[in-house]
Amino acid sequence: MKLIFQLSLRNIIRYKRRNAMLFMAIAVAVACVAGMNTIIRGLQYDMMDAAVENLSGHYKVHAPGYLDDPSIEHSFRLPTGYVPDVPEESLMGWAPRVRVPGVIMSERETRGVQLVGINPGSEGISFITNVAIEGEALTGPDDQRMLLGKELAEQLETSVGRRIVIISQGADGKNRERGYRIAGLFDADGTALEKAYAFTGITVLQQLLGSETVTEVSVRLVDEPQASGLKETFTHYFADLRVFDWQELNPQAAAMFLFADGAIYIWFLLMMSALTFGLINTLIASVMERVRELGMLRALGMPKYNVVLQVVVESSIIMAIGVAIGLLLGYFMYLSIADGIDLSSYASSTDLMGISNVLMPRFLAGDFTEVAVMSLSLGVLASLYPAWRAVKIKPLDAIRN
Amino acid sequence: MSSLVVTCRGVTRTYQQDAVPVHALRGVDFDVSVGEFVSLSGPSGSGKSTLLNVVGGLDRADQGSVLVDGTALEGLSESKLAELRLNKIGFVFQAYNLIPVLSALENVEFILQLQNVAAKERRTRAEEALVSLGLGDMQDRRPGELSGGQQQRVAIARAIVTRPVLLLADEPTANLDSTTTEELLAVLKQLNKQSGMTIVTATHDPLVMSYTTRQVKLRDGAIEHDETALPA
Repeated sequence: MKLIFQLSLRNIIRYKRRNAMLFMAIAVAVACVAGMNTIIRGLQYDMMDAAVENLSGHYKVHAPGYLDDPSIEHSFRLPTGYVPDVPEESLMGWAPRVRVPGVIMSERETRGVQLVGINPGSEGISFITNVAIEGEALTGPDDQRMLLGKELAEQLETSVGRRIVIISQGADGKNRERGYRIAGLFDADGTALEKAYAFTGITVLQQLLGSETVTEVSVRLVDEPQASGLKETFTHYFADLRVFDWQELNPQAAAMFLFADGAIYIWFLLMMSALTFGLINTLIASVMERVRELGMLRALGMPKYNVVLQVVVESSIIMAIGVAIGLLLGYFMYLSIADGIDLSSYASSTDLMGISNVLMPRFLAGDFTEVAVMSLSLGVLASLYPAWRAVKIKPLDAIRN
Repeated sequence: MSSLVVTCRGVTRTYQQDAVPVHALRGVDFDVSVGEFVSLSGPSGSGKSTLLNVVGGLDRADQGSVLVDGTALEGLSESKLAELRLNKIGFVFQAYNLIPVLSALENVEFILQLQNVAAKERRTRAEEALVSLGLGDMQDRRPGELSGGQQQRVAIARAIVTRPVLLLADEPTANLDSTTTEELLAVLKQLNKQSGMTIVTATHDPLVMSYTTRQVKLRDGAIEHDETALPA
């Protein structure tokens, strides 16, 4: 094997100019794939974070029927002292909420909104604590003021400090109404969020609805929850309730997440398949230039598998060197954009996609490893046809010619 | 135990050249005993190279039988033929056919590696083969850094390092000048005399024939003359 390896390496050096071009082509392709992967991953996780921060969390507990009829009728009582059964290092936070549909009225306009009662101290897991607020944020579960989105305030033609009236259906089935003063206006990137929600203290909303129950418990983990098995834990604890993960609550974002996974492979195939033809071509040229040499080796008794091995090893070495350079370049590409790509010029599109205006590329070592493994496998695959051509060389013909 | 290394009976080989059959061998009977140094000569197209290739398992006879060291070649698969060539036959070609990216030593070692000889033994045997052919100080040179005669000697070292029962040489001196030819023939002669190596060489050079112990002349695919030289 050592001599086969040595022979392959020296043959690569023998045609150094041609192989240098090939190394460059592989390196550029791999760098583009690896670098682009960090951007696609950035987009993918941005979309997921946006979905998770939009009050869904990674897991959410609802009463049965709530998703079909999100009213206080479909609520549940949270056990006293409840804490999610999640390892401390994995748990970013959790929040109980009351979320019901309601009507909000200013002196001039009326709109339908989602009324959300929150404990602001627990909402580090959602967008509401990460957005800019004009005026003041809510201070606790007993805060009797209201936090609206800027867009909603514009529609209602109201502003900070003014009063609005809320109407919603109480636990007894009767409409309840109450006046609130506007504490602040939040500025979320997506105007949909600004128009959708009106926040107040959870205890205050419970009092309005005449219930001590909550409509949801949202749990957010430190990292993405794939294959964590936590859903079963929650399902076991809340046996009579329904537990949803973020994909079930945000099917569109989940589909986009999967699409991004697929896009990475499609991108890889596009780049590398074009390159593979170049590699096959070079290897065939290399074999054809050595017809006599390979024929002679066969004449001396070299088994066919050794001929195959020689071509495969040669291809693998070329690919390995190209991939190593490419991954290094790809990592430098990532570093050069690691501070974020400003997409504010395309704000309307990013809002539509539910991603932020600054795209943060995401480096996943696993993606780089995958690119390396797939490229090397492709290198081996690409060598099979040239190897077959090499095996087909008839020793006698090669020596005669 | 038979002292015959090669036994050919009624060997026929016909090629198609532009749809015209060319009878390269027409029912040749040919034996080679252990320790013989045989030259196959004749004009171009007489069948000497074809006979050499058929004996070496590089070509197959259309009819007849070929036995090398007791092994019948007719029924052997490609891989079995390759195994036979690797373990029982040494080849020396007209164009040396060394691997250009390997040194002289590595070229010789390479064939032993194919035989799965252990690294240490491989190195020792390759060095010994090169030293015995006067190339001890040129082991690390690549073929491009060696003269034609030196390259051919490396090729002989590669052929004998596996300790074959039969050394086949196809016009081994065709590319060499007369001085180098004589040097090389002396090497082959010495191998034949001292080690008892059985050698069959195709040639049309009378000088080569003069070094062999038996001259076989072919014409039109048949043996025309077979003469064993009297001991000097």
